[in-house]
Amino acid sequence: MSILQSVKNLVRSKSIHVAYVDVGSCNGCDIEVLACLSPRYDIEQYGIYVHNNPREADILLVIGAYTPGWEEKLHTLWEKIPDPKVAIAVGNCPISGCLFNRPHTLVDPPVSKHIPIAAEVPGCPPRPTEILAAVLSVAPLVFKDYEVAKR
Amino acid sequence: MAFPIIPYIQEVTRLEWLRKFFFVKTAPLLTPPYFRGFPELTGKTCTHALFCMMACPAPGAIDVIRTPGGWQPRIHMGHCIRCGLCVEACPNGVLTSGRILESMFYDNTRLSFSFRIDVNTDLCMGCGNCAVACPVNKLIDAQMSHGGRASTDELLLKVSEGKCHVLHVEKCTGCKTCENHCPNEAIRVSRLLEAVHGQEEEV
Amino acid sequence: MKRTVDVSVPIGPIHPCFKEPARVKCETKGEFVISAEVELGYMKKGIERIMRGRPWQEVMFLAERVCGICSVIHNMVFIEALEQMSTIAVPERAALLRVIVNELDRMQSHILANFSYCYTIEHETLAMYLLDVREHVMDELERITGARVTCAYIVPGGVRFDLRSEDVLHLRANLAVIEEEVTRYMHMFEGGPLIALRSREIGVLSRGAALEAHAVGPTARASGMPETDRRIHHPTYKKLGFSPVSRTEGDNYARIMVRFQEVLESISIIRKCLDTLPEGPIRGGGIPGAGEIAYSGEAPRGELSYFIKTDAAGRVVDISIQTPSIMNIEACCHYMLKGVSSLADVPSTFVSADPCIACTER
Ligand code: SF4
Ligand code: SF4
Ligand code: SF4
Ligand code: SF4
Repeated sequence: MSILQSVKNLVRSKSIHVAYVDVGSCNGCDIEVLACLSPRYDIEQYGIYVHNNPREADILLVIGAYTPGWEEKLHTLWEKIPDPKVAIAVGNCPISGCLFNRPHTLVDPPVSKHIPIAAEVPGCPPRPTEILAAVLSVAPLVFKDYEVAKR
Repeated sequence: MAFPIIPYIQEVTRLEWLRKFFFVKTAPLLTPPYFRGFPELTGKTCTHALFCMMACPAPGAIDVIRTPGGWQPRIHMGHCIRCGLCVEACPNGVLTSGRILESMFYDNTRLSFSFRIDVNTDLCMGCGNCAVACPVNKLIDAQMSHGGRASTDELLLKVSEGKCHVLHVEKCTGCKTCENHCPNEAIRVSRLLEAVHGQEEEV
Repeated sequence: MKRTVDVSVPIGPIHPCFKEPARVKCETKGEFVISAEVELGYMKKGIERIMRGRPWQEVMFLAERVCGICSVIHNMVFIEALEQMSTIAVPERAALLRVIVNELDRMQSHILANFSYCYTIEHETLAMYLLDVREHVMDELERITGARVTCAYIVPGGVRFDLRSEDVLHLRANLAVIEEEVTRYMHMFEGGPLIALRSREIGVLSRGAALEAHAVGPTARASGMPETDRRIHHPTYKKLGFSPVSRTEGDNYARIMVRFQEVLESISIIRKCLDTLPEGPIRGGGIPGAGEIAYSGEAPRGELSYFIKTDAAGRVVDISIQTPSIMNIEACCHYMLKGVSSLADVPSTFVSADPCIACTER
């Protein structure tokens, strides 16, 4: 691997854009993702910028248990995100459906059936520190050797 | 609104603000000890009472499995919602999470289970499947296990005069085997959870 | 020559300003919004359907997950409804602890709502300040209940954990910090000229319109309807003695200010609770039985009602939940957004009503 490539890897891992999409959660995980922005946890000090624009995102945080309203929409959204991209499932909902995965429910978990999920953060809801740790662990891998892999 | 800029100037000239601006570091990302995390084993012996599974509100969150060293509860991450009910419900203190066990000790609180069996006499046809399947019945009267006739009134469930009767509901362990074996869905076991204060009575 | 065209502008479901997916469709004439409509359906999980046939210890957690932001009040209303139904007595200490936890939850919810508003009008400094002070509230919530969001604190006949004496000291110290900070931020919000430009006289909901739209919670209280606060009917709050906040302007500014004032009010309620907290047990036991009840309480966003029917074993046979946000969203779309003079104010006005899509759709 060239030196240029490793410099690129390093730099890019410090500049990650995160978008989050709520596919039928209870809001608990939503506000824990928001809490990551707070000065206490301050996700931006790691070079991670959270906003809600999928078109410039690198990491998509998926929250929620996949309700029927999101059929196709989630997939469309996933396609709008430019490569390279990863999705992280935050909370129990996208992993197992949490308490909603019961008879008569409308949700259709897990989300990994619908889009590829790279990492999971269990917990209902996970602590901001846990979300942070997951994003940080995935961040260096998103762009790693992107040019090499593309060729 | 005359000098609206003043609050802002005040804000950035506070000593506290200046100190924070120049010197404060982000707090270390610690998990406080009072946070209820995923339940962990304390190493005490599990007696397979299954109260943890009965109390657990999340589907598929906890299993009690057989290991070479005896029974052992296992928490499934991604299903467990970290509510801590299993910790409170376990009579032996096998699980722990955050400060729950400690709090239960100080506050003298516990969760107690009682069971209620309802037999719908309109649906019951007296087949006796429930009485034969019930593991408590089997212990009390060995004959029951191979479909024999009930010989004593000590039994939990007994079929007489063509209907199932609940004789000693206090012996029920809430396993719901009877419910699963009834062909007519006539018997229904309810697990009643009660949050109580006070010492556990000796059984 | 300037031409104005009528266009229908959809905002959402994914929008940088919305925490949750909702779609607001605006009919506009140039920048002027003629009418707005909200499209829901992205979060429907069917919680009430799942709840049927389950005992309280399962429904309690599902109720909490109707809305993760104001989870404590859902827990409280559901459990208190069961208690009323089967006449389960609650020890004095437990009742006060419930109020403490509920008020902490209200504080964090209000601060979060104000954070969203400030974030939406791009006043990021104040937004981050608020988010920081919210962490102090979350700390206290976590210290008492053991969890930050889904606390699962209230059970029939009492609460789950006691408040320890060393935690009372922490709580008092933290309350002082929170009070000081929130007061300062409130003054910043009050005096900020740019904030005033974006908030005053925007999204006005008059008292008449609020009545017509059945607005509830801080949205209604900002339009001069203090009687909408359900807490005045709650026995424990009655004993503590508190007076609801209200303002008369009815615009975005008033809604945010009402929340600030309620945070301060909550702090004083918690102080009163701590002062009068008696020693004693925290659980009285009691198993819910058969019955049918309609019960309501004051969620951070307004009146929350549960209609519950249980069978003899305490299982929920039928349940329906009426959440506050749906009224406020209606009020927002049909009254506040109408006549907003710029499209840029649409998200901020929508956020100022503190819509919670998760509890609206369940
Ligand atoms: S995992 Fe739990 S807290 Fe998170 S969205 Fe699902 S139900 Fe809510
Ligand atoms: S903590 Fe709660 S959800 Fe997790 S295993 Fe125990 S009872 Fe089940
Ligand atoms: S629940 Fe189990 S112990 Fe109780 S009556 Fe049924 S089979 Fe017997
Ligand atoms: S309750 Fe069901 S299993 Fe038991 S005797 Fe009646 S019909 Fe048979």
